[in-house]
Amino acid sequence: MDRFNPKHHKNPHAHVIHQPGRRLMKGVPLRFVWNKVSGHGARSPNAGLNLVSFIDFLIVTVIFLLMSFSASGEIAVDKNVKLPKAENVDDIIDAPMVAVNGNQILVDGALAGSTRAIEELGRLQKIDELFNLLKNKRELWKQVQPNKPFPGVCILQVDQNVPALVVKSVFQTAAFAGYPNVSFMVGKLPKSQ
Amino acid sequence: MGGVDVGDGGGKKRATNSDINMIPFIDLLMVTIAFLLITAVWVTNSRMNADAQVPGPPDPNKELTPQTPEKVLNLHIGESEFGLVWKQGATVVNEVKVNKSPVELGDASSKIIRYPELAKRIEEEWKTHGGHRDPSDKKVDQAILHTDNRTPFKEIVAVLDALYSPKREMRLPDGNKQVPVFNMTFSVR
Repeated sequence: MDRFNPKHHKNPHAHVIHQPGRRLMKGVPLRFVWNKVSGHGARSPNAGLNLVSFIDFLIVTVIFLLMSFSASGEIAVDKNVKLPKAENVDDIIDAPMVAVNGNQILVDGALAGSTRAIEELGRLQKIDELFNLLKNKRELWKQVQPNKPFPGVCILQVDQNVPALVVKSVFQTAAFAGYPNVSFMVGKLPKSQ
Repeated sequence: MGGVDVGDGGGKKRATNSDINMIPFIDLLMVTIAFLLITAVWVTNSRMNADAQVPGPPDPNKELTPQTPEKVLNLHIGESEFGLVWKQGATVVNEVKVNKSPVELGDASSKIIRYPELAKRIEEEWKTHGGHRDPSDKKVDQAILHTDNRTPFKEIVAVLDALYSPKREMRLPDGNKQVPVFNMTFSVR
């Protein structure tokens, strides 16, 4: 009966590290329980879980996510800009981003003018800070890639409530700075038909 | 667990059935899924083209020949109606008015305006007066948007959506593609 006693080790340090093995019902010092646990009885109480379907599911999920993965990452949209939505749209391209919200104009996060100032003036105008920033970006692009023709594309992220006067001023300034192909960023609506 | 069963070895030899530990494999799959889910881009934004119509510098080697101006669609956004005016130079070729009948989608907080009637009328107008229809023609017809300075941008986008709704086939190096029949620019006065 000694081997059924959980404290049967001769070695005083043996309790520190135990050999791996079955532990279930080990504290019960009864032979029929041990027989049952070790499988000498009827059916083994160890139930095997079939992992094949689980692994299949995981692999399918991984493949789906890898196929829809975009390495270019998320395009930063100014958190103060609420974009309008449209159906007939094109895919976004890599180009300088001009964000226009109710208060300010930003080029790739750098301040480039005030929306309020344009509204208060009440007429179409060239925005000097925006012009200089875009012009610098254009010159930098030309220095980096001297052999390629400059595409002249920039993307405007304009808040849906910004008045047309501001949009036209930014549009015209971008064109003056060498970006005649202006795109408006919009949310994509599903096709109605 | 996954394993390889090559049958009973027989005799007193070591068992030839070996189990592959699947736990690290499942862990790897779980971590990959977690990474892909975290880095996934769920919000998809798109763009609408416009063209500022800036003329390039004249080519000194090319002889200037007088060209007849192309027909251009002038789209006027009014208070209660839209004006579709085809002009060739300063000559008005055709003029129609379309009532402003907006279709509102979404709830009050995120209301979206659409002009399906305008889109239909623009398509009819292009079929009658449009100049660039052949698939091999790389140019598209030009539309000039005339709007009041106070018009909110969401209304401009709704009109642009209607303007870009008619499409035609264009032959491109990477195959035929459906492209909008118009390119838009603002009237700046």
